[in-house]
Amino acid sequence: MSSMIEIRELTKRYGRVAAVQDVTFDAAPGRVTGLLGLNGSGKTTTLRILLGLSRASGGAALINGKSYRDLKDPQGTIGAVLEQGLSHPGLTGRGHLMSQALLCGAGRARVNTLLAYVGLAGAATTRTGDYSLGMRQRLAVATALLGEPAVLVLDEPANGLDPAGMAWLRELLREHAQAGGTVLISSHLLSELEQLIDDVVIISQGRVRLQTSLTDLADSQVHRLRVRGGDPELLCQAFERAGAEVSENGRSLLVAGLSPEDAGDIALRIQVPIYELVSETPKLEEIFLNLAGSR
Amino acid sequence: MIAVLRSELYRTMAIRSGWVATALIIALGVAFAAFDTDFWSLFAGLGAFGLAIVTTAQHYQHRTALLLFLGQPRRLLVLAAQCVTAAGLALIIAAASGFPALSAGDEQYGATLAVVPLMAVFGVANATVVRHPLWLFAGYAGWLIFVEALIGKLEGALPFAAFLAAAAGDGHYLLVFAGWTAAALVAAAAAIHRDLTGD
Repeated sequence: MSSMIEIRELTKRYGRVAAVQDVTFDAAPGRVTGLLGLNGSGKTTTLRILLGLSRASGGAALINGKSYRDLKDPQGTIGAVLEQGLSHPGLTGRGHLMSQALLCGAGRARVNTLLAYVGLAGAATTRTGDYSLGMRQRLAVATALLGEPAVLVLDEPANGLDPAGMAWLRELLREHAQAGGTVLISSHLLSELEQLIDDVVIISQGRVRLQTSLTDLADSQVHRLRVRGGDPELLCQAFERAGAEVSENGRSLLVAGLSPEDAGDIALRIQVPIYELVSETPKLEEIFLNLAGSR
Repeated sequence: MIAVLRSELYRTMAIRSGWVATALIIALGVAFAAFDTDFWSLFAGLGAFGLAIVTTAQHYQHRTALLLFLGQPRRLLVLAAQCVTAAGLALIIAAASGFPALSAGDEQYGATLAVVPLMAVFGVANATVVRHPLWLFAGYAGWLIFVEALIGKLEGALPFAAFLAAAAGDGHYLLVFAGWTAAALVAAAAAIHRDLTGD
């Protein structure tokens, strides 16, 4: 199970408007890659081109070195969760999966296994038009897994899932990646992805602004200290004399440019008691907004 | 292509409205064939046309075309499979509903069976281009009533008039209608490659 997604200088134009421009990134086996961006940033367009549903104006989107249309066994190579509730409302859950199973050569047994796996065995004979949003998302995941693909591509899968559903999806995707699979997941719900992804690609206004691992991203960020002490004014002056940037936040000081040890030593030196000293790393959402906002 | 064909057949028959419509067309067709073979031919043709439009356009209406093209990225194969499915269903419907005409030894039975599958393919091709069943039904209802019936008196080389003449056993109009179907297929072959956007 080792399949790679490569996006190379991908461009898609609608008339004079470039929906995506020179987008380049990889999604590697054994890792969950998050494609993050605000609505309209080009995530869905990128995924649609990868899946052969839209044609690129330039560049390439490859799975194992091939475009989707050239794959011999597309559903056995890559599974996709797109939009919400892609099924005929008159079909039952089992009927929907069977019609898809016939496309990829999967049998009835696989359909029943997947219905149980996604927690829809009890609703297998219910028409999908009567499904909740969460149930439709689970059915979409089952559809993507029909061909037992090594690569999973999910576009905004968190939409409609309750916290339990999101936890289930996280576990499923983590297991898939740990088994050597490749997972590419797009979302604008950054806090949901922070607990799941290994690598991050930030896309804004159709261009990739950043591709890195989540660990490297966290390490590269300026760590900030939250300090609450006996005499904030005295502490502030002392920290600034030591070269730190200090701002006030209620009864606390936000200090950039000092380690916790430095801050503790300074407080000891000026004889000001410290009641709280917390090292804070910016959250993914904060980093993303800084990047998106700076363009 | 066989996989798409099996999937399309399964889907058509698994949706209640699909098999109810099929059964209804057959039942009404039997009644019409017992009284008027010409009207049965027209009904069988329109039934095949309507069913083909609904089953094809549903994929775009409910966005399941995305799943279909993920399963078979070569879209011309999808179009071919949809045509074969619709033509096969149309042939079965016409053959079953025209049983009274067959029993009576009416030669129009065979001629109708020859042209009805073409009408189904014509419907698939139109639905692939337009993608919205209501637009097609409204457009073709207006076309059939005002252009072909009132102005053209259902004679000549326009699609539905050609279909009726072919169904009555005129080989020349069978070729004419095949030409209309071929033209629609050319347009469909180009249209099926359009992007599936988020609309």
